[in-house]
Amino acid sequence: MIKALVITHGNLGKELIAVAEGILETKSDIDCICFDWKEDGTRSVQVVEGFLKKYKGSNIIIFTDMFGGSPTNICFKFLKKNIEIITGVNLPGLLKYLTYREKNLSFKAIVKEIKRGAIDGINIVGEYLGEKKS
Amino acid sequence: MIQQTVEITNKLGLHARASAKLSHLANAYQADVFLIYDGDRVNAKSLLGILTLAASVGNSISIEADGSDEEKAVTEIIALFSAKFDEES
Repeated sequence: MIKALVITHGNLGKELIAVAEGILETKSDIDCICFDWKEDGTRSVQVVEGFLKKYKGSNIIIFTDMFGGSPTNICFKFLKKNIEIITGVNLPGLLKYLTYREKNLSFKAIVKEIKRGAIDGINIVGEYLGEKKS
Repeated sequence: MIQQTVEITNKLGLHARASAKLSHLANAYQADVFLIYDGDRVNAKSLLGILTLAASVGNSISIEADGSDEEKAVTEIIALFSAKFDEES
């Protein structure tokens, strides 16, 4: 089973998880760190370390809000074969994770599919519907 | 392989929660299940796939199933549409 941790600035991640759970009408086991505007990262790193210790040996995806931001930067050092970071977390990506993580595929393949789901969820609606209608 | 068409009658169409219910139900069957709408064909077991249809009320959608429990799959999915995804009284 893959485990997930969402780290974002402010309460974004917490709300994204709540909405994903509302859509799927289920409670998830996704953990969340709300990166405080005033923190230097020390507290969040400790929480990440605790999460990784708790699920040691599991495949883990850390979703962060934006490449280059502190929630992402503090996680670089945790990258491993079984720990991956996906930036730009959004609702389609979380839904893909929650509905896809138990597929009988490699961890790498699941991570790529989640990224694809997240990106495919971004559309310019006028263009998209235009293409559909034309 | 069987295929049946049903009209979307719930006010919000195939929005997020309805699509989640539909994909959850489709995943319960061994059969491959697809939805055909407005020229697009998507895997009914994929929530994000269903959402790409932007299927709205008043339009028809076809359910195609292929597998040992295909008949049950189509019957129960059509029942879900008929029940308006349990979101309207």
